[in-house]
Amino acid sequence: MALTEPFWTFLKIAAAVGFGLNVAGLLGWVERKQSAVIQDRIGANRAEIFGFRVLGLFHPLADAIKMMTKEDFVPPEGMRLWHGMAPGLSLLFSMLCLAALPYGDKIVLGGHALSLQPLPLSAGLVFVLAMLSVGVHGVVMAGWSSGSAYSLIGGLRGAAQMISYEVALLTTLAGPLFLYGTLDLAEAVRWQAHSIGGIVPAWGIFLQPLAFILFMTAGAAETKRAPFDLPEGEAEIVGYFIEYSGMRFGMFLMNDFIESIVLAGLTTALFLGGWHVPGLAHLHLSQPVFALIGVGAFVVKVMAVLWLLMQIRWTLPRFRFDQLLDLGWKNLLPLAILNTLVTAWAVFLAGG
Amino acid sequence: MTDPAPETQERPASLARHPARIVTRPVMRFQERIYLIEVWHGLVITSRHFFVNLWRHTRRAIGLVARAGAVTIQYPDDPAVVAKRGRTRHRLMKREDGTPRCVACMMCETVCPAKCIKIVAEESPDVMIEKRAKIFDIDMGLCVFCGYCVEACPEDAIRMDTGQVEMSSFNRQDMVWNMQELLGNKKKDPAANVPRL
Amino acid sequence: MKTVKFTINGKPVEAKENSLVIDAAREAGIEVPHYCYHPALGNPGVCRLCMVEVEGMPKLQVSCRLPAKEGMVVRSNSGPARTAQAASLEFHLANHPLDCPVCDQAGECYLQDYYMRFGGYTSTMREDKVHKHKRLDIGPNVMLDSERCILCTRCVRFLDKVTKTSELGIFNRGSRSELLPYPGMSVDNPYSGNITDICPVGALTDKNFRFKVRVWYLDRTPSICTGCARGCSVEVHTNTKRPWHTDGKRVARLLPRHNPEVNDYWICDEGRYGFDYIDAPTRLKAISVMENDKLRGLTWDETVAALPAELSALCAEKGSSGLAVVLSGTLSNEDLFAARLLFVDTLKAGHLLVKTGPDQEGEEDALLRRKEKVPNLRGAQALGFGGRIQESSWGNILDGITSGKIWGLYVVDRDPSAVWGEKANGALSRLRFSAYQGVNVTHFADSARWVLPSCAYVEESGTFANFQGHVQKAKAALQPLGDARPDWMIWGAFVRALGGSFPFDSARGIFTHLTETESEFKGLRWDGLGKDGVKLAGSREPQTAGAA
Repeated sequence: MALTEPFWTFLKIAAAVGFGLNVAGLLGWVERKQSAVIQDRIGANRAEIFGFRVLGLFHPLADAIKMMTKEDFVPPEGMRLWHGMAPGLSLLFSMLCLAALPYGDKIVLGGHALSLQPLPLSAGLVFVLAMLSVGVHGVVMAGWSSGSAYSLIGGLRGAAQMISYEVALLTTLAGPLFLYGTLDLAEAVRWQAHSIGGIVPAWGIFLQPLAFILFMTAGAAETKRAPFDLPEGEAEIVGYFIEYSGMRFGMFLMNDFIESIVLAGLTTALFLGGWHVPGLAHLHLSQPVFALIGVGAFVVKVMAVLWLLMQIRWTLPRFRFDQLLDLGWKNLLPLAILNTLVTAWAVFLAGG
Repeated sequence: MTDPAPETQERPASLARHPARIVTRPVMRFQERIYLIEVWHGLVITSRHFFVNLWRHTRRAIGLVARAGAVTIQYPDDPAVVAKRGRTRHRLMKREDGTPRCVACMMCETVCPAKCIKIVAEESPDVMIEKRAKIFDIDMGLCVFCGYCVEACPEDAIRMDTGQVEMSSFNRQDMVWNMQELLGNKKKDPAANVPRL
Repeated sequence: MKTVKFTINGKPVEAKENSLVIDAAREAGIEVPHYCYHPALGNPGVCRLCMVEVEGMPKLQVSCRLPAKEGMVVRSNSGPARTAQAASLEFHLANHPLDCPVCDQAGECYLQDYYMRFGGYTSTMREDKVHKHKRLDIGPNVMLDSERCILCTRCVRFLDKVTKTSELGIFNRGSRSELLPYPGMSVDNPYSGNITDICPVGALTDKNFRFKVRVWYLDRTPSICTGCARGCSVEVHTNTKRPWHTDGKRVARLLPRHNPEVNDYWICDEGRYGFDYIDAPTRLKAISVMENDKLRGLTWDETVAALPAELSALCAEKGSSGLAVVLSGTLSNEDLFAARLLFVDTLKAGHLLVKTGPDQEGEEDALLRRKEKVPNLRGAQALGFGGRIQESSWGNILDGITSGKIWGLYVVDRDPSAVWGEKANGALSRLRFSAYQGVNVTHFADSARWVLPSCAYVEESGTFANFQGHVQKAKAALQPLGDARPDWMIWGAFVRALGGSFPFDSARGIFTHLTETESEFKGLRWDGLGKDGVKLAGSREPQTAGAA
């Protein structure tokens, strides 16, 4: 009764996508509650089913119902086909990234070693970054097909933001890559499994602190998360969302959350040691349990990074567009190059 | 009116004719320019709020204390809190025998800036009182709750201390309170004119 | 007439020798508070409020009994004078009840006004106040509250000197003094309303105005009473902004204006209370024409297109001597000019009635009221009615209708049924053409073919020349009600429809035309009429040297 590879892959991808979508839904609740707790208030707690409120966990469901029952409006001057395709396209590429994340190490079941990474690509990092780059298409398509000059310019602005920070992102990642020596995300996690001096685990955050900060910043800007969420801040400047309503708009918001999860997954994999739990190996647990605890550790770390992203969202005011581009080109990029140079020199000195 | 200008800034000649106050803009220090230190400070503040409030909510949830974790009131279930001195819905005061104190002097109607009070006077059967109000309507839809009517009244016939702030209705006519309703003799029925869909 | 120069409050003043200082002060623009003094009622000096300080005199003097002398230095705003005025006020207020919220005089009360201007002290009254009669009905129009009375005796003097009926008097002494009607008497003379005007406080109040509306809500417009040929100057008080107070009625009351030429300070009760018809439900607000026994509403454009054409066709067919026009004596000069242009010059109506008629006659007395209830008596005469334009009579017109010679009757604001009685019904049914143009519905209006609404006198500006030839200007106080229009505007449009010329769009324009074309109106100007009015050319007395 060996699980055939395609079936197992399909199961893993389904689980990964399921995980991503569920966490995206949960993130709606987390956003409401976290912001409420930061702001000394309670947050939304009114949505109830048969009298059960469950701390407001039904609010994302209510949001979804609201989105679905709203008027599906396409501007008459807009291009109907592209208008409908844009959010779907953005969502598709983000969800593809979910499959490339290293959720856990190999699990041994019935004599077969099965990878817990849905898509075990040897260039997984490039795949993820490429998918994020293609996400720009969704933005421009949305802006252009809305038939309004303002949304077109807003879309171009969003695209400019994304591609500026992609450059910084890639340059930043060059540093850790020199350390890990591989583009495979699972390999990068395994590299971090050993400890420095027996105490501190060799996670990217300790070895490449600057890269961590730069990566988080550039990643947040890439995924249009606060404080870089100018396209979303339509009270300040018109974005590319404006002609979207109902579920199409809902899909853009979902895309926001999925991309945050992808970003958090990448951060965990590259800087926080992925599924690695320091000291767990000493417990000598059975392999399946060990692997599953690893998956649990990955999920916990992703949640922690998401918490941090939320915290930053509710702490910092939005950047103005010129400040945003200045930051990306004039501050992040030089620092990323500096980081790369220093890392390269250190690696060379340490002997490869 | 003129502040002496700091030596570092030059005074344009036009300022000699129009003395002005020079506002010095603060220059950003290095730690502020980097922004990351400020980000850290900000995160410390919000995280502190987060964990303290989380602890308070947890404490209440597990029953350690009775005090709520946040000051939020759940409005329709918890009542709206209005200070005792707040200006709320008007009421007409009664004399000891139950008749209204109002003598229709029109002070409140005259002083009302929103012109929401309508009074029609009539003869009072009591010769020592002489005048009383036949009609006394206040349109709550127009009222701005300034309290001038209370201040103007020479008879202490109107007060705004009922503590009632919920006066919504389904149409504009229902927002007009007449004398019997203001005296408290008749209750206003909010469900009287619910529009049929 | 010798004049003397003296100073009041540092201001140099010149006045007739031995004239009263209080008068001279008023003319100089300085107000000295007073109650009992009234220019028409004498100066008893009992209220002790008009105290002034005169240099050289050791004690303060009451300025209403102080004759002006050369070189006097009078001060009404010095410390002692002000203290005395405030003290007097305090005494007046000592037993005065706290009735301001329920008193109708609030807003025009001399106690309130003088306290704010000349009082401002904190009361030291700690005793129980003396109580007197409240809400005492002393006449058909007057309510007495003797607690509020400050015993200035203006009303007593008015009823003694002016109406000579002496219904009121002051009884008892000291702080128990009380104003009361003499036993068995009630204040029911035809000028009883005036005592509510002269009473400075709310002791005597008007029963018809009682509790209706606060005086500060009222707009005031100077106008002329159209009750009789005296044409007293009045002030129309209207309440348009808060209609619920006066039950929708726009005119709240009429008060007399001081006019030394016409009515001095007074007005009779008929004129004072005769404004109910202006806002009555019987007001005509729409045009209607009876066609085939059915009433049809019309616009003014349709009326101007149809009525004059009908009239002139009938005149051409049956002869204009069969047209009888009954105009009202309450029409202004401008209205009569337009009527003359239409009915006399253009249509050449056979019968005209303006000033005469038993329905325009009433009581007369020696004070103000005139027998002819025709406010524009001399104005109608000056325009030719009764002179070169012969006036017919009700009797003639009735005979003409019954004999069939008169086929058309155009009545303005008068009721033939009131004069003809039952004979009216039969007569009116024989008419080929009948029209009623007026302010309120009458019996005739119900059966007339054409019914046109016109403005009441408060809704149109106009001039009236009373029986003395005194021309006064009445200003419009209100907007016309519904479709009502000024009479001159209606007839002017008819004149134009018949091909005539009527290039006037305001009463002022018509009046100016009259001053240019009519001999009696020569020398007058619309703006020069002032608030008192000017006499017609034929009525002016020769100016003697040194006239007052």
